[in-house]
Amino acid sequence: MNLATSSIDYINNVKNGIITAEEFVAKTLEQISKHDKNLHAFISINENALDQARQIDRKIKSKEKVGAFYGMPISVKDNICVKGGKTTCASKMLQDFVAPYDATVISKLKSQDATIIGKTNLDEFAMGVATEFSAFGPSRNPWNQEYVPGGSSGGSAVSISALECVLSLGSDTGGSVRNPASFCSVVGLKPTYGLVSRYGLVSYANTIEQIGPMGRKVEDTALLLNHIAGKDPNDNTSIDNGSQDYLEGIDAGIQGKKIGIIKEMSKGEGLDKNVESSFWRAASVFEKLGAKVDEVSLDMVSYTIAAYYVLVSAEAGSNLARYDNIRYGYDFDSEGYEFNSYVSKARKNFGPEVTRRMILGGFVPSAGFAGKYLLKALKVKSKLTKEIQEAFKKFDFLISPTVPILPFKFGEKINDPLAMYLADTNTATANLTNVPAISVPFEIHNGLPIGIQIHANILQEKQLLQAAYALQSTTNIPGVPL
Amino acid sequence: MVTKEDIEHVAKLMRIDIDNTDQYFEQIQKILNYFDILDKANIESEEISVQEVSINDLRDDKYTPFESKLIDQLKNYKGSYIRAPKMN
Repeated sequence: MNLATSSIDYINNVKNGIITAEEFVAKTLEQISKHDKNLHAFISINENALDQARQIDRKIKSKEKVGAFYGMPISVKDNICVKGGKTTCASKMLQDFVAPYDATVISKLKSQDATIIGKTNLDEFAMGVATEFSAFGPSRNPWNQEYVPGGSSGGSAVSISALECVLSLGSDTGGSVRNPASFCSVVGLKPTYGLVSRYGLVSYANTIEQIGPMGRKVEDTALLLNHIAGKDPNDNTSIDNGSQDYLEGIDAGIQGKKIGIIKEMSKGEGLDKNVESSFWRAASVFEKLGAKVDEVSLDMVSYTIAAYYVLVSAEAGSNLARYDNIRYGYDFDSEGYEFNSYVSKARKNFGPEVTRRMILGGFVPSAGFAGKYLLKALKVKSKLTKEIQEAFKKFDFLISPTVPILPFKFGEKINDPLAMYLADTNTATANLTNVPAISVPFEIHNGLPIGIQIHANILQEKQLLQAAYALQSTTNIPGVPL
Repeated sequence: MVTKEDIEHVAKLMRIDIDNTDQYFEQIQKILNYFDILDKANIESEEISVQEVSINDLRDDKYTPFESKLIDQLKNYKGSYIRAPKMN
């Protein structure tokens, strides 16, 4: 029984009685107890996972109808609500918060007999690129434990990479699925805005964020997307995708497709030389696969980090206003306090990055400054959207390195927020323009992973996954050195 | 130009206490200075696009009772009342 199994092999093996869900889940829990002390991918583990797996085995034995996942262990970022368990957002403010309901993605997974194996670590409220802002301590990169795993869905990426689950759900506001996917050499997809319901995802910047599937292989993320996508009455931004099957025809190839290299993301200052050369090798691989590759310019990309951080701070400032120590969080009695001073004192529980975003979030939309910051950011978003739509008239896919830099060491950027923000340079565009984008593991340089990012137009996930699969089929990445 | 007083004022409006004001001030000023790059973007003629949701796409306005007692999640309540600090 191989923990490095693909999701499809797992399903076939359980279906055909070669392994049981219980055996696999037990072995996964063993792997977690062996490695997670060091890696810290998980904030909490589902104590009932083995029982749930046993129940699924019973259903299989008695020939009852079994859901598509056959008890497969799936990890979930700890900003997605799973009923009855803690959803902490890696924040002291929510360390005792028990979710009263399941997120729509969780109801869907449960109804298909997935085993939610545990909740994964993240930067506090999903703000960060390294998990260093988790109130419960960072996760470590399984490729080299002195390095960050990326973020904010770092725990999800680590749990997949370290064989502590088969699939994982992350969330992506400006790259939080794709960045850790790239840093940990796994696959991560940010779907079209609205393709996956956000009901039960703790809001941070809700006009651009999406829950995204992560896995070791492209086909794993396609399978997971099959079961989480679609219209949800509880999220009125969600889209009906006609129950599309993203797995079917995934090996169609990209012969004759047109691919644009986004110039502003693929050369110049800020781009690590090793990442750059790896990326250009990927570009030539696409050519060998029969695609036509050319360069394309998106002028607004130079302004995306400023625009993105203005927008998310403004949204975070209002979304996080609910953490007042009365409805959420509780660490001291209100006796003797006046309302404002009580809330202000409670918010000392926020870590440094959330505090910065709260202050920025008060600043950028305020009278006197909104014209300079917020309105300009919204205009950049509009213009960037037009530019990318223009590019998609000529190209089927747009590519870039996922992250302009290699994974970095702990502490390297923690006191320089701006340097950290720049790690999102290549990923924020997909969020600002609503299009899907995926990170595919491509090479390992000096023991550190490099991922390639592919964008497709809105609701073109099927084609996007085909392109990602084609690229994946040319790679030869060694096993993780655990 | 943003001053330290501006940032202290905003922190107060956002109801967030900070101890090491100087460090936050320095970092936030650096970030805001970086945001000045937006002044260079050629976007004057750009319209701000808004996300529209048709009223037909909203879910039915029907009451569905929520079974679990949410108030049990709160540590500071009496009966069906939540205890909060007094407003000035």
